[in-house]
Amino acid sequence: MRRGGRVLPRGLIPVVFFGALLLYSAWPWLPFGRPPATPTIVFYGFSILGDAMNKGVFPEFRKQWAAQGHGDVAFRSAFAGSGTITNQIVLGAPAELALLSLESDADRLADAGVIPAGSWKRLPEGGVVNRTPFVIFVRPGNPLRIADFADLTRDGVRIVHPDPLTSGGANWAIVAEYGAGFREAGGDAAAGEALLAGVWRNVASQAASARAARTQFENGFGDALITYEQEAVYDKSRSRLKADVVLPRRTILSEHTLVVIDRNVPKRDRALVDGFVRFLWSEPAQRIFVQYGFRSVRDDLNAGHPALGAIEDPFRIADFGGWRRAKKEIVEDVWKRRVMKIPAKP
Amino acid sequence: MSTRAYAVTRAGRRAAVPASLVVLFLLPLILMPLAAVFLFAFRGGPLAFWNGLKTPEAQFALRFSLLVAFATAAVNTVLGTFTAYVLSRYRFRGQRILGIVVNLPVAIPTVVVGTSLLLLWGPIGLLGRALPSGLQPMFAPAGVLLAHLFVTFPYMLGAVKPVMDEMEETYEEAAYTIGATTWQTFRYVILPTLKGGLFAGALLTFAHSLGEFGATVMVSGNLRLKTQTAPLYIFAQFEAGNIEAANAVAAVLALLSFFIFFVLLRYTGREGD
Repeated sequence: MRRGGRVLPRGLIPVVFFGALLLYSAWPWLPFGRPPATPTIVFYGFSILGDAMNKGVFPEFRKQWAAQGHGDVAFRSAFAGSGTITNQIVLGAPAELALLSLESDADRLADAGVIPAGSWKRLPEGGVVNRTPFVIFVRPGNPLRIADFADLTRDGVRIVHPDPLTSGGANWAIVAEYGAGFREAGGDAAAGEALLAGVWRNVASQAASARAARTQFENGFGDALITYEQEAVYDKSRSRLKADVVLPRRTILSEHTLVVIDRNVPKRDRALVDGFVRFLWSEPAQRIFVQYGFRSVRDDLNAGHPALGAIEDPFRIADFGGWRRAKKEIVEDVWKRRVMKIPAKP
Repeated sequence: MSTRAYAVTRAGRRAAVPASLVVLFLLPLILMPLAAVFLFAFRGGPLAFWNGLKTPEAQFALRFSLLVAFATAAVNTVLGTFTAYVLSRYRFRGQRILGIVVNLPVAIPTVVVGTSLLLLWGPIGLLGRALPSGLQPMFAPAGVLLAHLFVTFPYMLGAVKPVMDEMEETYEEAAYTIGATTWQTFRYVILPTLKGGLFAGALLTFAHSLGEFGATVMVSGNLRLKTQTAPLYIFAQFEAGNIEAANAVAAVLALLSFFIFFVLLRYTGREGD
């Protein structure tokens, strides 16, 4: 071992290094590094909401809330697949508000006793904050000439699809695929199942959330991706879209449901949370959603947006009897049992 | 030193072919993936790298991970050393079983650790059910710490117990005969010999905690700015398509682990084998 001739004794380097590391990591919690505590909203959202909330809605609400003389407000947020955040909330994640991609996740929260059944229906628009139709992403130039869901059933088309177990978007996509066939044939269940089965024969990869499926597609997997139109509109607005978008002639408009988890809202933050809930349906917030590629619940705000394409036959989940029925009849019975051949639980 | 001596003694047996074979298969397995992290992280120039790092979320995730790693290393240094002392110095019924149990975390998949913690401490868990909502550890920093303590427990033990087992007991006996208490013997006879093992164990614990993913993802709730660790941040950003942001933090974690590994080799005399 060499000794001497060094500026620092050899044992000092790790001590200095780890000391500096500890100081760096603890800095915000030290008495002189800590910013004053501000009232906080804990918001869980499904995957594609991230940018719209973080960059658009939260800052705007902060501005308005302060302008109304209430002082500052902070947001803690988590974004993941709708099913994932639902499971986390059931297991006790501290969400005060959750914007879920499908109402059946709200039903699951109610079934688990987290929120009163149907409590979201008392919110404006039955709890629906915004909408977006399901579309098909294809490679630039559309080399496989895909024009509708039916083209996805051709041999050799590899589809990236989110996983219905954890992704709300995947459930919407299943109803979109089934519904397109169903309505094309004038209301024929067998035609719906045939289209759904044809599409799923070609699913090459399943990701945990719509956003993750999108990332897989962008990383070069697959020929087509079935996902929310919002992703395309938003990325086009930043000229970051590396895919062509195919608007199916018939497709579903997904509706995204807000739930308030009252048991996680401390009394002192009640007015703040209620204020934010009201804000979500106000014109400024709805305009932000349109700006980030969603369709507003107010049609007049959508009309002015050129990127929101026209769909010949858009349908809603209500056309299939709402999510409770559609989840059972389309996702469980047709997709799971008959298309995927997963046997029912004993 | 010892590696050099090794190379000299085996010089006669042409090492060039087997050695380059090892390098060849390490390239796609280890070296190139590591290089890719850094290439991607710095592709946009140092400014883009810095922008990826300076966001509040990235800063929080790094700090939170480091704090948890410090806490995990501190707690497990004490618990691990005590466990090693008990297992090495006392003879009792069930000792073998206890010895197996404390090493079990090495073999259990980390996701299973996360699940089991949730089933115990979660709001619907066996113990968690009884706790008031303010004291629930799951989806809070305490839950992350619990998971890391579980997963990294055997590392301290593994570093300290062999040293203790090999220690000459005559010194301890000498200490006892001149009237030292158990604590004094531990403090002035055993502890000084353990220094190297303690340091190595703490470093290993720290490094493993810093990179822990499987158990953390189950128990943390993945709340940005509250319970999101650096590995969870990397995963979330990558999934969301923000590859630059993910990579900046990944590069920092990789650099930290290199440094820790370097310190481990340099200061504890361990060879990489």
